[in-house]
Amino acid sequence: MKLEIQLTGADGKRKHIVELEQKGELWGVSLDGQALDADAMQIAPNAVSVMLGGQSFEIHVSRSADGTLNLQCGPHEFSAEIIDPRAWRGRKHGPVEVEGRQEILAPMPGKVVRLLVAVGATVEAGQGVLVVEAMKMQNEIRSPKSGKVERLLVKEGQSVNAGQALCVVA
Amino acid sequence: MFKKILIANRGEIAVRILRACRELGIQTVSVYSEVDRASLHVRLADEAYLIGPASSRESYLRIDKLMDVAKKSGCDALHPGYGFLAENPALPRACVDAGITFIGPSAEAMEAMGSKTAGKQLARRAEVPTVPGTSDPIENPSEAQALAQSMGYPVLLKAIAGGGGKGMRVVPNDAAFASAWRDAASEALNAFGDQRVFLEKYLVGPRHIEIQILADAHGRCVSLGERECSVQRRHQKVVEEAPSPVVTPELRRKMGDAAVRLGRAGGYTNAGTVEFLVDADLNFYFLEVNTRLQVEHPVTEQVTGLDLVKLQIAIAADHRLPFAWETITPRGHAMEVRLYAEDPDNNFFPSPGKIISCHVPTGPGIRLDEGVYEGWTVPMDYDPLLSKLIAWGNSREETIARLRRALDEYTIMGIRTNVGLFRRILAEPEFLRGAIHTKWLDEMLARPHPPAASPRPGTEEAALIAAALWHSAQSNASTPGGTAPQEAPSRWKMEGRRRQMDHMP
Repeated sequence: MKLEIQLTGADGKRKHIVELEQKGELWGVSLDGQALDADAMQIAPNAVSVMLGGQSFEIHVSRSADGTLNLQCGPHEFSAEIIDPRAWRGRKHGPVEVEGRQEILAPMPGKVVRLLVAVGATVEAGQGVLVVEAMKMQNEIRSPKSGKVERLLVKEGQSVNAGQALCVVA
Repeated sequence: MFKKILIANRGEIAVRILRACRELGIQTVSVYSEVDRASLHVRLADEAYLIGPASSRESYLRIDKLMDVAKKSGCDALHPGYGFLAENPALPRACVDAGITFIGPSAEAMEAMGSKTAGKQLARRAEVPTVPGTSDPIENPSEAQALAQSMGYPVLLKAIAGGGGKGMRVVPNDAAFASAWRDAASEALNAFGDQRVFLEKYLVGPRHIEIQILADAHGRCVSLGERECSVQRRHQKVVEEAPSPVVTPELRRKMGDAAVRLGRAGGYTNAGTVEFLVDADLNFYFLEVNTRLQVEHPVTEQVTGLDLVKLQIAIAADHRLPFAWETITPRGHAMEVRLYAEDPDNNFFPSPGKIISCHVPTGPGIRLDEGVYEGWTVPMDYDPLLSKLIAWGNSREETIARLRRALDEYTIMGIRTNVGLFRRILAEPEFLRGAIHTKWLDEMLARPHPPAASPRPGTEEAALIAAALWHSAQSNASTPGGTAPQEAPSRWKMEGRRRQMDHMP
């Protein structure tokens, strides 16, 4: 099996070709065409043990909602995107940005408990525009830029999902 | 002794109480809201009853429903845990009316000590030093603001019924007063059903050190020593330890005496905590009494060898505390970190969701009090505390080393947690020296992040290999006829292992 993987770590993104070959209960590995002194084994549904030149690593793996893999090795985290020719995945859309207009998204699921500004109000960067309560904590959501509140997309008392648009500042 | 106890709580503390009951051979009854059907405290209980929808005001805060369950299931006692109704005197009253023993102080002792204003008045009478401030709730925001102006900023707004940082706001200046008042009152109303707030002068840079007391119904009140809880974010304790790095045996005795004096003056029974602020010259000021079990009680348990929940139950069952406990001195050092479902990289926003995988630390000196499990979905409706990781060691250094080691073993995937925050705290030179105060963590977080230690060579390659293997295993599993990456164990290998076992002495 041959896979192209884009790995994102603390120091940036890189693309690699990983080839796996099954050898009994272990897997042999080559990376970017070079055979490695390595073997790997899935030791739990979400954990892989990798032996690399005698160095032992344990990697915990999970798939996030957008399909990328989250990888944890002790305190270190990576994300990986598998570029699998057999799979088709739609492109991810970034937040709408039209010439300085900013859409403020809910950073977590919760309930809008208070609107702090009205449509048409002028706001400073960092000024609170509304308050979302989640897990009994009230969190003020701030404007990312100075400008005018163009639209308020939620009402007080409304439940919101993570990523839902709350307000547009232009 | 009791036959059956109703646990009027959820999460890790409900599980903690369940475990104590099981060890004592007492039957347990849990209650749960609609979103908690699959929670650990429901799974582990002997009996469990649905008491309402997700909103705690319609479930965990409904005394009438709790009493119905207690009567229906034949409970003879109720443990409130912490939070929810634990410090609401209406609950012990309802228990008395229903003929059920409340595991905690009497409603009268709760009123005399638990409310922050009443506690302060009592402290003055018992000659325990207090921080300047109002001792009564203030109804009118403009009156409160005028008082704040005359007292001088910064001031602190606190919910009368509060605890755990809910309904509490520091007001740095006059301009911030109105919005802070609004937030504190509405948070207090949501969390405790009581929006009353009072005002206090805010001390700059004090330590938070508290004394655990136990009092039986036969006039004995003892101190189990202190806990240092100065590492706080937004007034929420994040790391707690016992003993405190600055408390000398003499100061411990003085603070313990003051706490016991206060407990006696308030006619207190059962477990309670007297919180103090301690300034740079080691003067201590009474802050408040928590008339319940604390979140951080395990650190006291680890250094005293006592089980506080079992002692609470014994005291409620009218047992006497033995004399010897009055001379307790801490053995070794214990430290607790509170794991929350929140994202430290994104302003600590709550991160509810499904726990895809959970690998927990074990080994020498490690204790984990948790309320979650792999495959469970953390609801968005409650406090995001997932678990408490507690380490014990012979010295503070050994304890910190064990805690660091355990944090590296602890992996929770699917939700964001604050585990990375503890790695950072446990590496800070000031923390290692014990040079901490209640604003220390907020100041640390305001500084730029130090660059994370780079992973050892090979980590990136290992991550790539793991990603490829996991991905191919997943796609094989979903393709009919695909081979699973793990084959059945080799019979040759099994035979070899069996023979080796036979050779073991």
